[in-house]
Amino acid sequence: MWIIYTLNGLYFAALLFLISLGLNIILGVMGILNLAHGSLYAIGAFIAAWIIIAIGAKIPPFFLYITLLSGFVLTGIVGLIMEKSLIRFMYKRTLEYQLLLTFGALMLLEDVIKMIWGGQAYYASAPFDLLGKADIFGHVYPTYFLFVMIIALIAGLLIWLFMSKTKLGIMLRAISLDREMATGIGLDINRLSTFAFVLGSALAGLAGALVVPTTPALLGFGHEPLILGFIVVVVGGLGSLKGALVGALLVGFTRSFGIAIFPEIELPLLFLIAGIILVVKPEGLFGR
Amino acid sequence: MLLKIENLDVFIGSTQILRNVSLGVNEGEIVCLLGRNGAGKSSIIKSTIGLYPSRSGKIIFKEKEITPLSPRKKVLSGIGYSPEDTRIFTELTVEENINLSTWVTGKGEHFDAEKIFTIFPAIQKFLDRKGLNLSGGEKKMVSIARALALNPSLLLLDEAFEGLAPLVVNHFIEALHRIRKLGVTILLAESNVRTASQVSERSYIVERGEMIFEGHPRQILENEKLLKLVGR
Repeated sequence: MWIIYTLNGLYFAALLFLISLGLNIILGVMGILNLAHGSLYAIGAFIAAWIIIAIGAKIPPFFLYITLLSGFVLTGIVGLIMEKSLIRFMYKRTLEYQLLLTFGALMLLEDVIKMIWGGQAYYASAPFDLLGKADIFGHVYPTYFLFVMIIALIAGLLIWLFMSKTKLGIMLRAISLDREMATGIGLDINRLSTFAFVLGSALAGLAGALVVPTTPALLGFGHEPLILGFIVVVVGGLGSLKGALVGALLVGFTRSFGIAIFPEIELPLLFLIAGIILVVKPEGLFGR
Repeated sequence: MLLKIENLDVFIGSTQILRNVSLGVNEGEIVCLLGRNGAGKSSIIKSTIGLYPSRSGKIIFKEKEITPLSPRKKVLSGIGYSPEDTRIFTELTVEENINLSTWVTGKGEHFDAEKIFTIFPAIQKFLDRKGLNLSGGEKKMVSIARALALNPSLLLLDEAFEGLAPLVVNHFIEALHRIRKLGVTILLAESNVRTASQVSERSYIVERGEMIFEGHPRQILENEKLLKLVGR
């Protein structure tokens, strides 16, 4: 069973990696603690489920997996609207205002979800069912979970390449390293912040889209991933891709093995780890 | 006059940090802002580039009022800024740090290496190194080079010589003269009046956010009262 727990830990870490990566980009570049990040994850899940239910039966299986990218693209557009209409007015405000505003955005997005998709659960298991099961050292394991791990790995690699090799990525890193100096040397902070928010939102949407073939999308779907995403950022540290990966693996494995070994304290244990990191190394394991 | 500041008042929250500040910088000059730490020199530099918005007063650059413009627009109009505390982006390489300015202007992919290496030849040796692994002097070189890569008409240098060994200070003084020869005007915030006297012909003394003196740095060196105000 240990192999299964390990694989479950990796699967869970893959999703958390995508969520926390988005959270980390937004927090690092814009300095905004986005409490609505979980709602963006939920929107990604609802969008993907909606599209799969609507057209899933009419398209070839390969395109079914392409539809999962709709969570990435359309949630990015939701992020763009949110940044242009709400978030950009908060750049010069203090943290309390940002928290209040993003909490308000969370409530607003929950209502939007209720308005568009109603209160019922959306379940779109076709991408999960189609991939069937794999035999891993004599253990049967859903192939879809392995697919999610590969997608998260590819996404992580692409983000790393983007951040380290492209002009846009290097400018985003510069802002996240020293916002005042980046402003002083003339970087287009507003445009770059918009891009960071869209990218962060899209990554949350992708995580939501990837999870919906395994779990029905429901109201309040994004609350727990938001909290776990914050734990990953606290553990891994701000502004570090490596930190997001290590933090996600730590939380993923603690969760997976915790559920098997000590289910009563699995969640409190995560908070305890985050608390210890905050006391001993407040900047996180790989943070600045 | 390339830069003219008239009756500038700047507040941070409810605290007034600059009071009725006026100054002028002619084309081709190196002008020093002198004063003790916390006197307001850096605040004048930051207000000029737009990091501290002014409540009243005017900033005129190339005969156009630029007071309400964003730092980006001021940079694009031809003002380069090198901040204090050897601030460069530590996790970016030296090359990336300098290239950022080229990307800001949108005039190419790579900085004008010939120009930058003429001013600071040493930079060629550590182009691939991350900012984190540079000495204080090297960081200052990169910071000034980054501002120069914008091809500015006016360079704002905040404490360019702070924390440098005397020998290195001499190299920097020579570099500033080379920059001036390229046609770049310099407004420099500096704490050391002796260093200022080797670089500039005209200085202002800032004290508690106000301009209290304008003249040649030598006049300060010869005046005990002014020397006390400057602190060195």
